[in-house]
This record gives sequence, C-alpha cells and structure tokens, in this order.
Amino acid sequence: MRPDAKKKIAKVTPKSGPNPVIIGAIVAALVIVAVVVAILIGNSSKSVSANDQVGGSGSAQPADVTGGEGGGIVANPGTAKSNAPTIDLYEDFQCPTCGALEKAMGPALTSMAKAGEIKLVVHTLSFLDDNLKNDSSKRSANAVACAADAGKFLEYHAAVFNAQPAQEGTGYTDAQLTEFATTAGITGPALATWQKCTTSGQHAQYVADVQDSAGRAGVNSTPTLKLNGQDITKTLTTASDLVAQVKAATK
Amino acid sequence: MDARGRGRLAEFIGLLARLTLGIVLLVAGGLKVTSPAVSARAVRAFQILPYDFAGYVGYALPVVEVLFGLLLVAGLFTRVSALVGGLLMLAFVIGIISAWTRGLTIDCGCFGGGGTIEARQTQYLADVLRDAGLAACAAWLVVRPRSAYSLDNRLFR
Repeated sequence: MRPDAKKKIAKVTPKSGPNPVIIGAIVAALVIVAVVVAILIGNSSKSVSANDQVGGSGSAQPADVTGGEGGGIVANPGTAKSNAPTIDLYEDFQCPTCGALEKAMGPALTSMAKAGEIKLVVHTLSFLDDNLKNDSSKRSANAVACAADAGKFLEYHAAVFNAQPAQEGTGYTDAQLTEFATTAGITGPALATWQKCTTSGQHAQYVADVQDSAGRAGVNSTPTLKLNGQDITKTLTTASDLVAQVKAATK
Repeated sequence: MDARGRGRLAEFIGLLARLTLGIVLLVAGGLKVTSPAVSARAVRAFQILPYDFAGYVGYALPVVEVLFGLLLVAGLFTRVSALVGGLLMLAFVIGIISAWTRGLTIDCGCFGGGGTIEARQTQYLADVLRDAGLAACAAWLVVRPRSAYSLDNRLFR
C-alpha cells in the first residue's frame, strides 16, 4: 500500500456507523445466491419427480408417437393416405378454448382422420397445470397416452373433451379418468393394463417431453393447429373452412 | 421556496418514485415467484432469447424483482437499486415493443400469466406506458438518489 493511500481511505471511510461496502457485499451476495437457487429450482421442476411415476418407469414412450422424443401421438396410425397432409394439434385437456375447438372442429377432424384424408398428430400439452395449480392436465395427458397403447386414442381424447368442466381449473378426478376409459371402449385385460399405466404415470416423462418440445417449437398457447407445419389457428373459422384448407393442401 | 425547501420537496419526490417503482416490482415479482414455470413460459413467448436461456431468465426474474423491490421500498442502495429497476423497465419496454412490431399477440406476463392471447386482448400500449413511467421513476432516483425516510439516510450519513 502506498503511504499516502491510507489517508485517502481514511477520508472516504465513514467515521462511525455501518460500512456500506460490507453491507453492499452482503446484499449482493444474497441476490446472487437467490437468483442461482431460483434457476436451480425452476430447472429441476422440468424433469418428472419420482412420485409422479410410482411403480412405472415413467419414461416409456406410448404407442404411435411420431417425431422422436416428445413428439405427438398419431391419432389415426396407418390410416392416412400417402398424399394426405399432416395436421398437428396442440391441446391441453384443461383449456376451455381447446374444448370449444373440439366442439366446432372435432367431428370434421375425426372423420377426415378416419377416412385417411389427414394424418392427425395430437400433442397433449400440460402447461395449464402450472397456471391452475393442479395436475389434471398431466394426469389426463398420461391417461390418453395409455389409451393410445390400447389403440383407443381418439375415443379417449373425445371422451375427455366431452366431459370438460364448465369451470376452468376444476380438473378431472381419477374416477373420471377411468370412466373415460370405459366410454372409449377399453375393456377387459386392456382396461387393467390401461389402469396400471394410468395410476403408475407410465408416460409421465413423455408428457413432460411433449410440453418441452412443443415449447421449443414455439407453441406457447393452446389450441394450436398446424397444417403441414404451418400454424393456421388464427385463420380458422368453421369446420368447412378447415376441410377446404385440407383439400387445398392435399397433393 | 428557498433552497432548503426545494431540497426537502425533492426528497419527497424521491420517496414517491422509490415507493412507486419498489412496490410495483415487489407485487409483480411476488405474483410470479411461486410459479417459475409460468414465468419461464411468459419470457419464452416473447421469442427473443434462445429457449433455454429464456427459461433461466424466467426463473430468475421474479426473484430479482422482489429483492430490488424490497431494496427500493427500504431505500437501501437506492441509486444502484433504481439503476437495476430502470434497466429492467427498459428491457421490458424493448421486449414489448419488439413483440408488438413483430405482430405477436401475447400477454406480457408482467404480473403473472403470459403467453399468446387473442389480438383484441393485447394491451401493449398500456404496458409500455406503465413501464416507461416506472423507468422515469428510476431515472429520477439514479440522478438524485437522496429521498425521505430511506435506510441510506439512516445508515450511511
């Protein structure tokens, strides 16, 4: 230390009271620690916790997934004609607008899918759980993935939207989820398999991956409907308009 | 009004600026701090930052808002806290205007929520004006950090 530096330091240091440098350092350290902790906590909530997948591996891919990890489920596997355009539908079972879209467009989508006029890929998102502070989106998304294993994806999907509660956030009970399976026509040993898959959250990690990959693809709201990769949600008016757009996109 | 009276008035304007900016930050952060995933999605909806980095920003932002809101309300390290608050507001204004001009229809997620909404529900102008007003509060405090009833006055004088 230079001899004259001491005097300078003495001049800027307050003679009494707390030292702002020390308090400032403490506050800054607290801020940094809090930010790091917040990022760590936020990041850890992305992967599925152990009790969401009790008894199951939680990472198993359901049947008919397309597009790799976190891809959507093909609602009409093996049915689509070779020239049929692909419709990607991003929905959350708790989203009222998705319920409205299903009412308006669901029958047209289902009939086009069954006739092979489109390849219908459904991405069941679960972000509304965070907003609504429940777990119904994740549980119902897992349940419909289990229904895909039983070959009853479309039927189960329709049953859930048919029973969507009028009040957003009411969610679905476990009993309701089982009821939907019966409505969808899952019976006998298939029902037992479905039940095990559902209660164990067998596809919980898959459900989380779907949410993540949809987010990465820029889908930040539901419903989102893409025709051959192009988002046409905002332009969509009626079911017949959708059918016309599909026809135009058929090669 | 003499010089002392003007100084006193300025200290009260400083107090008002501090409390306005501080309380808004505190409330905005407090509403978001318990749902980091929602906050992350709100930041991602702006489609400005890369996906993962936007997530980190979303996780950190509510905590930063709460802490600097507290510092401002208490009047501790007012100049630095106001600088941080002001830079946040500047970033928000830029983000909102950017989303607006790119034709996105999103909720800014300023007080929780966020993500795409219908075009008629957007309120970009109101959001920008509010944040610009708060940035003005911050600017006042950066230029003139002395304010009435601050911890800075108590501790460091």
